[in-house]
This record gives sequence, structure tokens and C-alpha cells, in this order.
Amino acid sequence: MDDLIREFLIESQDGLDRMEQCLTELEDRPQDAGLLAEVFRSVHTIKGTTGFLGFLRLEALSHAGENLLGLLRDGKLQADDGIISALLELLDGLRAILQSIEESGGEGNASDDAEVIGRLRVLAEMPQGASAAAQTRETPAAEEQPIVHSGAAESTLRVDIGLLNRMMNLVGELVLTRNQILQAHNAEAGFAPLARRLDMVTADLREAVMKARMQPVSHVFSKFPRLVRDLSQQLGKQAKLELGGQETELDKSLLEAIKDPLTHSVRNAIDHGIEAPEVRRAAGKNPEGLLRLNARQQGSHVIVEVTDDGGGIRVERIRDKAIERRLITPQKAAQLSDRELLQLIFLPGFSTAEKVTNVSGRGVGMDVVRTNVERIGGKVEIDSRPGRGTTLRLSIPLTLAIIPALIVRSRGQNFALPQGVLFELVHLTGEQARSQIEWLENAPLYRLRGRLLPLVFLDRLLAQEDAAAGDGCYIAVLNADGRRYGLVIDGLADPEEIVVKPLSVVLKGIGLFSGATVMGNGEMALILDPGAIALRVGIGLSAEDEEPHATEDPSSASGSEFLLVEAGGEEAALPIEDILRIERIPRARVERIGQMPVLRVEGSLLTLEDRAGILSEPGDAEEQITVVVCRDGGRHVGITVSQVVDVASGTPLKYAGTAIAASEVTLLKERVTGVIDTRRIPELAEMVEAG
Amino acid sequence: MMQAADAESRGAAALEDGIEMCSVRVGQTLFGVPIMRILEILDAPAMRPVPLAPGYIGGLVHYRGEILTAVSLRRLLGLPPHTHPPDLLVFEAKDGEGRNGYFGLLVDAVGEVLTVSVEDFEANPSTLDDERKALFAGAYKLGGGLLVMLDPARFDPVQLSQSQLSQ
Repeated sequence: MDDLIREFLIESQDGLDRMEQCLTELEDRPQDAGLLAEVFRSVHTIKGTTGFLGFLRLEALSHAGENLLGLLRDGKLQADDGIISALLELLDGLRAILQSIEESGGEGNASDDAEVIGRLRVLAEMPQGASAAAQTRETPAAEEQPIVHSGAAESTLRVDIGLLNRMMNLVGELVLTRNQILQAHNAEAGFAPLARRLDMVTADLREAVMKARMQPVSHVFSKFPRLVRDLSQQLGKQAKLELGGQETELDKSLLEAIKDPLTHSVRNAIDHGIEAPEVRRAAGKNPEGLLRLNARQQGSHVIVEVTDDGGGIRVERIRDKAIERRLITPQKAAQLSDRELLQLIFLPGFSTAEKVTNVSGRGVGMDVVRTNVERIGGKVEIDSRPGRGTTLRLSIPLTLAIIPALIVRSRGQNFALPQGVLFELVHLTGEQARSQIEWLENAPLYRLRGRLLPLVFLDRLLAQEDAAAGDGCYIAVLNADGRRYGLVIDGLADPEEIVVKPLSVVLKGIGLFSGATVMGNGEMALILDPGAIALRVGIGLSAEDEEPHATEDPSSASGSEFLLVEAGGEEAALPIEDILRIERIPRARVERIGQMPVLRVEGSLLTLEDRAGILSEPGDAEEQITVVVCRDGGRHVGITVSQVVDVASGTPLKYAGTAIAASEVTLLKERVTGVIDTRRIPELAEMVEAG
Repeated sequence: MMQAADAESRGAAALEDGIEMCSVRVGQTLFGVPIMRILEILDAPAMRPVPLAPGYIGGLVHYRGEILTAVSLRRLLGLPPHTHPPDLLVFEAKDGEGRNGYFGLLVDAVGEVLTVSVEDFEANPSTLDDERKALFAGAYKLGGGLLVMLDPARFDPVQLSQSQLSQ
């Protein structure tokens, strides 16, 4: 395609996006001269350029629109519902032609436009006297506006997304090279400061490139005013849309990915959430429903909420429907809390719409929203109060290119397992593996807290024969799109933030890997696709096992997940919510202030707790030791451990005969285990003074 | 054989007086790859095998921030596995959507650059079996023996997966 035409298409689309936004705002403020001028300008620009490029159909359509808009701008006409609807149709018509040009290079069939052009003409010729209010609007607001826009245009630049992706790759490469340089011990004077500088520059560059991929959520939000307007008219409802946190930024590809789930949620909120005006009036509510779309950043995630003040969801209906559809047994349903029952609407094949409308309720429903959001590593939750309204909460990771993963080993090879699907890890010694993995014909099973968990042996699945399996194994308990199973692996390495690289079509065809990655140490790992593995071995949907944590462990909200570690021959537990990361460092990196072992991490000092005396043992300076970094109130502390054993949920114990919870111990895997109290780790200052 | 004809005409059109070929050895055979088509030669790079991959895939190699798929010429020829780490020739791959990527070809050893002349070229002999005909683009008659011409485009893993399926 001609560069000139491509540029024209991009610019016109931008103009039409602005036009759409202005038109929906115009409904509330039909007198706003600035808005009218903006709409006029968008159409006028298209018309001007099309004549020059020879797009006759576009020219005819935009010409008809321009006439009407001219009258509006000059105050000879008043914008009303009819006019705005016609202008929105004009917008759709223009968009359709632009799309046709983009796809086929031609404008498509011109006969479709006659109706719209006719309507625009009739509206323009309708005798509607210019009102006094309109005549006073002679301020040349239209001439002032463009300056603002050109200012923004000068400081921004369009960049091809492919180029950005390439830059991202190169930055990833630079990070690896930097890691290798930092590891290389070079005695040359002046090398260390240079390496540190390279380290800093690389980190900054990486951040800058990541930022370049970010776009404000307003790019997606901006299409909703129109959608809400059209839908509520279509359904005979009244709805007002409020947008919040529009400046919140998200990776471009993620923004694209949440467009559909969000649209679906908004449709749902208007169709099923907000009641008809008369129903609302009868309930003593404002006949106009309120729909709020809000985005905010929370740590490494962006939370997008869709809130309506509609009728809410009656939990009993959800429960009855789920039982009727055999998605859950009545016994199981009786054990679930209201909140857990609500989450059942995300199950495939669940739709409570009493009547099928053409807006939603066609059997595909919230499960699509969940699948789409989970595909990009996000989570979705629903909250509802009958009569008060419903909130749908999407939690989206900030960037897609980098995902947290656990590196697992199978027959000497590394594989990356996305953390999002990993629920817990069970370690079995060789003896335990032989006695506790049970077989039903040829299906291996493991009793996880009394329930049978189907197992998949990764080495057998991949037909790996190269190296012998070690003694003992781990079971990674996974939940991929509602398919729950245990993946049996030989060993674990550290969790790592990995950069996802695409695989060649040939290797994607194997159907078990979603990509590959280069780890911090320069080695490569294939990224496992837990959903595809489940499908391959025929793991079924386990509807009852939704939220396995919430159902089996009602106190999970109060943080009873623990990391089980071994330190000095003794097992101890650390509350998982306090753990920031697990690091493997060479012994030589540990320094001492007085008696206190400390670690320098990115310019700050980390106090180390060496309860097991691992640091005092004789050992090679290059030997790797494991440090668990925890949060204790406002400070961070490191705890040295011999090894990380497992993640398990603990049962709080009470002192016999009392209701007092024992805070320093917990029941973990049927054993009473001590909980390390990070508060007891002394402050650095105290130690230095004491020493 | 359309492809062979293409390669021939390209070779002939490229240079009047001689074509520079990078000689590579696999087993007992000397092969030649037009030097202009090679992006880079990696000396025994670290390789990651891919379980369940088609037999001709040698593994994955980390190259300039990308992960490229390496095809093993040895395995394509049905020879026993490499005894020492193979060298890798990196080529540019064009996928259907016009984006550029890379792929690699694993060979036993990379030798010197030879200048061959068009007059010495001959197409594949009709007696060569079909599988080999699909891989080789012809041969140059050198003083010391034959230099089997390879056309990199035929070793793009995506191409190979299609041609292997049709066989």
C-alpha cells in the first residue's frame, strides 16, 4: 500500500476516534462549540484529503456530513438525539469505507451510503430556526483548539510495533550479556565501576523500552460511551457511564487482549445488571443506572473494575442453576460460601439469562471473559449484592512479554512453568514416590488431602530417555482453565521472571510448549503450556475444584499458606504472603557488620538471619547458598536456609482447652511445624550498637 | 525441479567469473553454501534439544535475543548423531507474513571459502534418490572431488515440515 494512503488511514482513524468521543459527549452538552468544532474538523479533514487521493465514495459521504456539521457549528441547527444518531451512522459508514480501503485497497460498494446521505440531507434542510442561544456562540473556539493538538503531535512519534518488539528483544539480550559480564571476575582496575555502570544503564534502558509499549487504558475505555449509549437505547434502559483512572497504563498487547472481555462485561452489566427504568423507580432508585469503569495500578497488576448499581445477582439462583446444569453437586454447593457460589458463573456453559436477547445470554458468557483474561495471565472475580449492584474485577499483569515462572527440571532439562497456574508443590522422597503414587490401571494418582489428583509424568509425556531420573520427585499441582492435575517433575530451580520468545511453527506444532525463554544464566528453557498438556492427556474439567484453596482452606484469606524450608536439619515454615523472593547467591557475597551478616542488594543493605548457622559452616566462597527474602513490616530481611522444601497450606492450631491461636506453630502436612517470626530478627542498628 | 532451476539461474546471474562458496563438511561429503546467504557462523553454540520435535530438528540456539530453530543436516541425511558439538550456519528466514526471523543449519565442521565457476556446475544426477534430490541443489566439479551445492531456503524448518509431510 502507498505510504501516503497508509498515513491517511491512520490519521483518519484517529480523527474518527476523537469524533466518536465528542459525539457521545455532545449528548450531555449539545451546546458545546468546542465539541462541534472538533467533530467538524475530523470530517472536514477526511473530505479534504479524499478528494486529493481520489476516494469518491468517502468524499460524497463526508461532504454530506460536513454540510450538516457546518450548520451545527454555525449555530443554525441544534444537536438533538436524531442528529447525533445520524452523525454516529455517518461515523460507522466512514469507518467501514476506511476498513475496506485498508483490506482491499478499494472503497467497496457505494450504494450502501445513499440512505445515510439522504438522512443527513433531510436533517440539514429541516426548518429549525437558529435559537438565540446558538447565535451568541460566535467565539472562534474552533481556531484555538488545533494548537493544543499540534503541540501533542510534535512531542510524540508513531513507532511500528514490530520495531518495538525487536528493541525489547535486543534489550533482553543486553541484560543477559550484562549478567555474564557481572559474573566474569576481572581483576583489571576500573572494570568493576564500568560493569556497575553498564548494569544501571541496562536496567534503565529496559524500563524505558517497556514504557514505550505502554498505552493508557483510555484507548480502550473511549469506545464504551458509544457502546453504552447504543445498548441502553436498544434495550430500553437508561444508563450513565463514568470512567475513572483512564491514565493508567498497560502494555499494548494486553490492552488489545482485554478489549473483548471488557466489552462483554459492559454488555452484561447493561443487559443483566441495570434494571429497566420502571423497575428501578419502583425500587426507589434513580431511573438512570450508573455504570462505572475504573482502572488502577496495584503492584505489578492493573485492576480494572466494571461496577453497576443494578439488581445484583441472587446467589440462590446461581446455586440452583449450577446444580441444575450438573456443574456442582448439591452437597458441595451447601459447603460453599456466598462469595464462592458467585464465582460459579465463570464456569463454561453457565448463563442465567431468563430470556435470550441479542445482546448477551447466548450460552457464551462469563466463562469467555475468564478464559480471555486467564490467557494473558490475569484473574477475574465477581462481587455482588442483591438489589445494590455487581462489581466485576479484572486483574491484569502490567506486561505480557515478561511472566513469572518456576523453572522445573525433568531428566536434566529445564522447563518453565507459568506461576499463574501453579497452586502448590508437593515433594516426595524416592520412598514416598514409590508408596504414595497409586495406579488405577494405567492412570497414576496421588491422594492430595484425601482427594485423588490425576498425575502426568513430564518425562514420560515428553518421551525423555536421555538421563536417568533422580531419586524423589515433585508434584506441581496445576489448575489450567479449570483442569486440575499434578505434573510430576524431577526437581525445581528458582522462580524467575522470564521473557517469552515465540517458537517456530514446526515446534509449536508439538502442542505442548507455548514458547521458549533464555534464563538469567544464559541457558534456554521451553515454556510448558499446562492447558495443552491437560488436553493432550485428557484431563477433564473439574468444576467442583474451582477455587480449591478457598474451599479446602477457608482461612486462606488470613494467610495460612506457608513456604516449608529446611534450615540446619530442622523444618520451619514462613508465611508465604511475607515472602518477596528466593535468591541463590554465592557465599562470597555475604558481608559482615560486626557479627551481623548482611547482603548488599541494589544499593540497599539486607539484614541476614542465619538461624541454622549455614554461614558459619566451612565452605567454598563460590558455593551457592539460598536466602529467602521476607517482608517484615516496612523492612526486608533475608533468612538463610539449607533448602526450600515445599509450599503447603497450614491449619492454625489452638492451645488445648482455649480459643487462643498458637501463632508460632502451624499444622503443615500433618506435622506441627514452627513458624519463623521475622519480627524477632534484630534491627541492624541494634546489632551494630550491641557489637 | 523448479527450485533447482531457480538456484541455478540465481547462481549464474550473481557472478560472471566465480561464486564464493563456504565449504562445510558433514560425514564424508563436502557441501557448499553461497557465502552471501550466510548471516553468521557460530562455533559449536550451546543447544537446547526439544523433546518430541521432528527428527531433523537439532535443537534451539540463542541468537541475538531471538531463539532460532536449528536443523541438523546430519539427521536429514540419516547419519548417526554428531560425535562432537556441531557448528551452526545462521540464515534469514522469511515467514508468510513478511516478517524476518532466523533459522540455523548444523554441520560437522565449517571449512574454507572456495571460489567456484558456473561452468563447473551440474544439476543433480537422475540416479540420486528423491529424498536427496529434494535437499541438494546440484554439484560443482572441483579438482579434488565434488562440492554439493545447498540452497539455504530448502532448510528452513517450516519448508522442511511441509516437504517432509508430502513424502
